Amino acid sequence: MKGGGERYDAIVIGGGHNGLITAAYLARAGKSVLVLERRPRVGGAAVTEEIFPGFKFTMFSYVVSLLRPEIIRDLDLPRHGLHILPLESTVTPMENGDYLAAWGDHDETRRELYRHSPRDAEAYDEYGRLMHFMAQAVKPILSMVPPDPTSFSPGDLAGLLKLGKHFRGLGGERLHALVKLMTMSSADFLDEWFETDVLKATKSASGIIGTFLGPRSPGTAYVLLHHYMGELDGVFRAWGFAKGGTGAVSESIASAARAFGAEIRCDAGVAKVLVRNGRASGVVLENGDELEASIVVSSLDPRRTFLQLLDSKELPDEFVSDIRRFKFRGSSGKVNIALDSLPSFTCMPGIGRQHRGAFSISPSLDYVERAYDDAKYGEFSRRPYMDIVFPSMIDPGMAPPGKHVMSIFVQYAPYKLNGGWTDAKREAFGDAVVNTVESFAPGFKAKILHRQVITPLDIERITGLSEGNIFAGELALHQLFFLRPAPGWAKFATPVRNFYQCGSGTHPGGGIMGASGRLAALRILKDGR
Amino acid sequence: MTASFDAIVIGAGANGLVAAHYLARAGKRVVVVEQHQVVDHSADIGWVPPRVIRDLGLSQLRLEQPDPWLTVPLDGGSTLELSRDMGRSVEAIRRISPADAAKWPEFSRRMRTLAGVLEKLYLAPPPDIETRDPRELARIGGLGLYVRRLGKQAVIDLARILPMAIAELLDDWFESDALKGALGALGIWHLKQGPRSGGTAFNFLHHHAGSPAGVFRPVRSNLTQALEGMKRVEVRRGNRATVLAKNGRATGVVLEKSGETILAPLVVSSAPPRATLDPIAIELDPEFARAVRNIKERAVVARGTLTLDRAPSPSYANLCIAPSLDYLERAYDDAKYGRDSAAPYVEVQRFNGNRLELHVQFVPPGRHEGLAERVAQALNVRSDQVQLQAAEASLYHGELTLDQILFMRPVPGWSRYRTPIQGLYLCGSGTHPGGGIPGAAGRNAAAAIA
Repeated sequence: MKGGGERYDAIVIGGGHNGLITAAYLARAGKSVLVLERRPRVGGAAVTEEIFPGFKFTMFSYVVSLLRPEIIRDLDLPRHGLHILPLESTVTPMENGDYLAAWGDHDETRRELYRHSPRDAEAYDEYGRLMHFMAQAVKPILSMVPPDPTSFSPGDLAGLLKLGKHFRGLGGERLHALVKLMTMSSADFLDEWFETDVLKATKSASGIIGTFLGPRSPGTAYVLLHHYMGELDGVFRAWGFAKGGTGAVSESIASAARAFGAEIRCDAGVAKVLVRNGRASGVVLENGDELEASIVVSSLDPRRTFLQLLDSKELPDEFVSDIRRFKFRGSSGKVNIALDSLPSFTCMPGIGRQHRGAFSISPSLDYVERAYDDAKYGEFSRRPYMDIVFPSMIDPGMAPPGKHVMSIFVQYAPYKLNGGWTDAKREAFGDAVVNTVESFAPGFKAKILHRQVITPLDIERITGLSEGNIFAGELALHQLFFLRPAPGWAKFATPVRNFYQCGSGTHPGGGIMGASGRLAALRILKDGR
Repeated sequence: MTASFDAIVIGAGANGLVAAHYLARAGKRVVVVEQHQVVDHSADIGWVPPRVIRDLGLSQLRLEQPDPWLTVPLDGGSTLELSRDMGRSVEAIRRISPADAAKWPEFSRRMRTLAGVLEKLYLAPPPDIETRDPRELARIGGLGLYVRRLGKQAVIDLARILPMAIAELLDDWFESDALKGALGALGIWHLKQGPRSGGTAFNFLHHHAGSPAGVFRPVRSNLTQALEGMKRVEVRRGNRATVLAKNGRATGVVLEKSGETILAPLVVSSAPPRATLDPIAIELDPEFARAVRNIKERAVVARGTLTLDRAPSPSYANLCIAPSLDYLERAYDDAKYGRDSAAPYVEVQRFNGNRLELHVQFVPPGRHEGLAERVAQALNVRSDQVQLQAAEASLYHGELTLDQILFMRPVPGWSRYRTPIQGLYLCGSGTHPGGGIPGAAGRNAAAAIA
C-alpha cells in the first residue's frame, strides 16, 4: 500500500465550509480527523482570491448571514478571525429614474416606503413580525435530524410526533402562514401584503436566489423564508460581509478545526472511497495514495458523493435512481469587476452611503419574471436580476487605495445553455450584465479595469458543485427535509456503512449556513458511541 | 315577502343542487335561486362520487367514458390514441416511443394509488389539523394509517409528487413530447400556472380522481341536468341573490332584479366565496374579510362550442392540442403578462355523440382579439365555427393551488363549509374539495349542516 499506512478516525472529503465544520466538531470530540481538499485552498465556494493584482474577490458566495450562531459559538470563530461587517442598505433603481431604498435605520425605511405607498408602510412592520416569527418557528427544524415518515421505528415515530406537536403549537394563524410560505410563489405571497410593485420585486428576488424558478413560481416563498433565517448577532435578516471576504469565514473554520487537532490537506483530490464488504474503509487519492479511516464523510454534493466517489454496485438500485433524479439546475452567475472608481447611479446620483449597501436590479416583478423566461428556454437573461455590492467600501483591504471591487450576483444563467457555454457566450453574458448596469449607472463601463465572468459551468469546473448549483441541489419542496437528498437517507448516513454525507445537499442545505455539517458531525458522534 | 323556507340555496349548479337535494332529503323546505334564466346544458366535467349517485337516486345520470379517451394529433398527420384498455394504450404509445410504452403501466398504477388517497380525502370535510376533538384525531390517525398501509413507495410519492411541477414528474418518466404535452395539460387545468410550476402535479392527480388507472381525463356527465329534472326542490331562475345578514346572523336573500326578499334561517351558497361574502363584509371580522379578498381566483379559461359541418374525421371523443410541455409553458407565459396565449392549449370534448365543447387556456380577463381565429387555426377550422365565452374569474371559484386546498380552502381555518355568519354556509367549488369533483362539496356541506 502506498502512502505509508496512515490511519484516521475520520476522513472528510472536501474542505468547503460544511466539511470543515464537520471536521471541527469531530476533532473537538477528540477524533483524529483529516480533511482532504482538491483545490490549493480550503473554502469550496466560499473563497477569497486575488484575481487581479491588488484586487481581492469573494469568488462565488459573497454575503454571510445564514451561518448558524451555535456554530459560531461552539467553534469560537471570532477568536479564529471571523469578523462580520454589516451590510447597511438595499437600493433598487427603478426604470423611471426613481428608486426604492431600505436603510439600516428602521424609521427611515418606513418613511421611504410611505413615499411609495402609505398602505405598504403600514403593512411592512406586520409583515416583518410575521416573517421573524415564522423564521423562529422553522429554526428548530433546521437543527433537527428529519424523521422518516416511511419508517415504523420508534425513533422516527417519536420524531414525527414531535414535529406534529411543534406545528400544532404554532396555533392556527401561524400554521396557515407556514403552509402558505411552503407552497406559494413569492409574488403571490407578497401580493397579499403589499401593492408597490418595486417593493414586491425586490423582496421576491430573495426568493429566487439559487433556484431555477421565477418570482411567480410556487415554492419560491419558501426560499424567501430560508433567507429570512439569516441571523447575525441575534438580529434577523441582517446580512453582512466577512472581513477579508467569505474566504475568511472558511479560513476561520479551518483554523478552529486545526486548533482542535484536525489535519487539513490541500491539493489532495479524492478519486474513490474504498469500500470493503459494504463498509467504507478509507479513500484513494487522485495521485493513487490510499488513506485508511474508520469512517469517511463526504461534503461533496449528492451526485458526486454517490455517483462519482462510489461504485454504483455498492448502492441499492432505487437509491441510485433517486440520486440521479435529484435536481441541480444551476441558474446563477457571478461577475467580479475591478473598478477605477465607483459608479454613480441615475436614481441616486453621486457616491455615498448607498454604496455601502447592495443595489438590487429588480425594478419590477415583470422584469424579474422576464429574466426567468429567458432562462426557462435555455438562454441567459438579456436583462438579468442582479445583486450588486462593493466589498471594498466596507472592507478597504479588498482593493488598492482609491480603487474598488464590485461583486455582481446574476440570475439567470442556465447551466444547460442552448448550444452549450463557450468563451464567446460567456463574454456575451458578461456584456449583458455590464450593459444592464450601464443602463442604470451611465458611465459605469468606462470605469471597468478588469472583469471576470463566472457561469454555472465555471462554478462546476472550479468548485465541483454539480451543474453549478450554489445550494448543492435545488431547494425545492420535493428535495427538502426527509427527501434531501433521497427518501430514507436524509439522516447523514448512507447505504454504505461508515460512510456519511455532510454537505449542503443534505438537510437543511443551502447558503453558508453550516447546519448540515454540524448535524452530520453530531450524528456521527452519536453512532460512534 | 313570500312563503318562508327552511333553507335557501344560492346557485343551481351541480354543487348547489346536490346540497339542496340532500337538505330536502333531510326534511327541510328548500328553495334554490339561480341567476341564469336558462338551464345550463353544458356537461359537468369530473368525478361524481358514487355515494352521491346512490344517496340521491340519480337514475337519470349519464356518465360518458369515451374510448379512446384522448386523441392527440401528431406531426405528419397521424394521431396518438389513448384507450381505456392498458394494452391498447401501450401499443399506441409504442409507435412514438417504446421506452414510454414500457413505463406506461407502472406510471398509471402509481398515479392511481395517489388519486385513491385524494378520493378518500374528498368525500369528507378536510382533516382539521388544529383539532383537539378525539374523534377527529382518530379520523386523521386513520387516514395516516391508511396511507402507510399503501406501502413505503406511496408515502414517498405522496410527499414528493404533490408539490412537484407536472413537467418535472413527466420528465422523470417519459421522453415523448406529444405524450407529455397531453398529460401535462391536465396539470394546468383551470390554474394560472404553467407545467413547470410547483403544485401542478397535485392538480393533475386531482383531475385523475375517479378515473381508472391509465385514464387521465375526468369523466363527463349530465349531473346538473339530471338533478334539475328531479323536481324535488323548487328552483327560481333569472335573479341574482345577495345574502342578507344582520348581527352576525344570516336572515335570507334579496333578489337583485325584483328586489324581493326571501327569508330563511339557513342560507347555503354555491356561488364563489368572495362573491358571497363581499356584500356582507361589514358583518365580518377584518382578518377574515382580508383572507376572503386574498382568495386567488384568476380567470384563465374560455369555454365554448365548435360547430362542424360534418362529423369530425378521423373521429374523436376528446381532442387535445398541446403538442409539448414547452407549448403549454409558452401559452402560460403570455397570461403572466396579461395577454391571451398566442398559441393556446385547446381541448375539444364531444358529448352525446355530436355536441362539441371547447376548453381554451390561457385566457386572462381583457379583450380577446383574434382568440377565436387562433383557436380555429389550431383546430384547422373556420373561425365562424368557434364560439367562445371567456370566464371573468376562475371557474373553480378559487384556483387549486397547494395553498388553497384542504384546510386552506376557501380560506385558512374555515374549511368546514361554515362561515363566521351564523346560518350562512358555503357549498360550491370554492370549498373543499374544489372544482372538477361536481357534487362532492355540495354533499360535504349538507352533511356539515345536518
